[in-house]
Amino acid sequence: MTDGHGRPLAGRTAVVTGAGQGVGRGIALALAARGANVVVAARRAETGEPVAEEIRARGDEAVCIVTDVTERDAVAACVDATVARYGGLEIMVHNAYQGSTRHRVEELDVDLWRTNSRTAVWGSFYCAQLAFPHLRAAGRRGRLILLTSPAGVEGSVFIPAYGAVKGAQRAIAKSLSREWGPFGITVNCIAPVAETPALAVAFESNPVLRERVEQRTSLRRIGDAEPDIGGVAAFLAGDDAAYVTGQTVVCDGGSFMGL
Amino acid sequence: MPGELDGAVTVVTAAQTGIGRGLALAVSGAGACVALLGDPEALAPAVAEIEARDGRAVAIDVSFGTRDDVRQAFDEAADELGGPVTGVVHTWMPPEAFERGPLEQVDDDRWNAVWEGAMQAALFVLQAGYAPMRAAGHGRFVFVTPTIALSGAEQLVPYTAAVEGQRVLAKSAARQWGPDGITVNCVAPAPELVPVGVDSMVVSLAPPALGRAGDAETDLGAVVVSLLGERGAFLTGLTLCADGGVWMAP
Repeated sequence: MTDGHGRPLAGRTAVVTGAGQGVGRGIALALAARGANVVVAARRAETGEPVAEEIRARGDEAVCIVTDVTERDAVAACVDATVARYGGLEIMVHNAYQGSTRHRVEELDVDLWRTNSRTAVWGSFYCAQLAFPHLRAAGRRGRLILLTSPAGVEGSVFIPAYGAVKGAQRAIAKSLSREWGPFGITVNCIAPVAETPALAVAFESNPVLRERVEQRTSLRRIGDAEPDIGGVAAFLAGDDAAYVTGQTVVCDGGSFMGL
Repeated sequence: MPGELDGAVTVVTAAQTGIGRGLALAVSGAGACVALLGDPEALAPAVAEIEARDGRAVAIDVSFGTRDDVRQAFDEAADELGGPVTGVVHTWMPPEAFERGPLEQVDDDRWNAVWEGAMQAALFVLQAGYAPMRAAGHGRFVFVTPTIALSGAEQLVPYTAAVEGQRVLAKSAARQWGPDGITVNCVAPAPELVPVGVDSMVVSLAPPALGRAGDAETDLGAVVVSLLGERGAFLTGLTLCADGGVWMAP
C-alpha cells in the first residue's frame, strides 16, 4: 500500500489494457496505489501476471486477466470476469497497442495497417462498447480513458499508421464524451511520452532520437510511467476530474504544445 | 481563377453529389481535366454538367476496396486524360458512414465498413497518387475532413473516427512526401454540407461568422483550387476550416 495519495479510488474497479509493461503498467500501479481494484489486462500472462503480483506485493488489489483487445469475445470475457470478481467496472483504460514498425505511406501494407488498426481502434471500440453497460451503471463515476499520442495530432514522419490510429482515438473520445455525457460518464485521452520498451526500441534503432526528444522537452527528461503518466490517469479516473471530458491531456514533459 | 489548374489531371472521388460534385465543378472550372472516381452511372450527370460548361471529365469505375483497384483507376485516368495524375481531391466515405446511431448499436460489420472502408480507401488513394506525382516532381492531395470530427458528435463515433484518422494520415504523408514536392492538406467544411443531419451548432455555440455554412462549389471550391494550384506550393499538412467562421482553433 503506497502512502501519500490517500485512497480516492477505493471501492472502484479499473481495467487497464496493455498493462503488462510500459505506460499500461504504470497506470495499473498508480490506480491500485490509490485504492482501485485493478485488472491487469495483458495479451500474455508472462507479462501481466508479474505486474498483478507487484501490485499485490504492495498490499494493493489486482488480478491479471489475459485479454487480446483485438477479439470482441476476449474483451467481453474480461469485462464479465471483472464484474463477477469485483461487482462492477467504473474505469476502463485502453492502452494496448502494437504495430510501431517504421514505414512509409507508399509502402504501408494492409497487414501492418491492420495491426495498428486492430489494437488501437478496434480495441477502443470493443473496450468502450463492452464496458458501457457498467460505466452507465456507475454514472458519475464512469470513466473511459484512451491512450493516444502527440502523433495523433501532428502526424508522424516515422510511423504514419500510428499517427492515424491515435488521431482516430481522439475523435472517438470526443464523440463518446458527447454521447455518454448525459449519463455522467467522462471520456478522455492521455498522450504520454514515457520510458517504455517501445520507446527503448525506437531509441535503439535511431540513437540520436533520445537526445533530440530530451532537448525538445521542457523538463529535459522522458517520463516515468507510474508517477508521471499514472498520476494523470488517476486524476482523470477520480472525482476531481468529474467535469473534464472529451479532452486530450498531453503528458510529455512540455514538448508538443499544439492543443 | 480560370486557368489556374490549366490541363492538370486531377482525380475527384465521390463527385456524384454534395461536396464532391461541387469540388469537381470548381476544379474543372479552374481548367483541370478531371477524372471522377466511383460508380460511372451515378457520376454521369456530373460528367454531363462539366461537359456542358466546356470542361473535360471522365467517370472511372472504382470501388475503393483494394489497392490494385484504385491504382488501375489512376492509370486509366492518366490514359484517358493524356497526362499523369498530379492532383487528388478525396471526398469519398463509405455510405454507411453517414448513418447515425449510439455506439452500443454498432456491430463489427458496420465498424468495419465505416472505419476500415474509409481508412483503407484513403491509404489506397494516397498510394495510387504518389507514384505519378513523385515521377512528375510535384503533386497535390486535398482531403475533405468536416469540422464535426474536430468537435466530435454523439451517434457518429465511427464516422468521426474515420475522418480524424484520415486527417492525421494526411499529415504524416505531408511530412514524408514534402521532399518530393508533394503537398497533402485537408479542408474542413461545416457539418451542414455533410449528410449526417447536424448543423454548426454542434461544433460551436456561435453561428457562422459569415452568416452561412458555405457552398461546396464556390466557397469550398475556391480553397481547394488554391491548394491544388501554384499558390498552394508552400502549404502542407494543414487543415483549413472553410466553415464560414465557426471552428476557430487554433
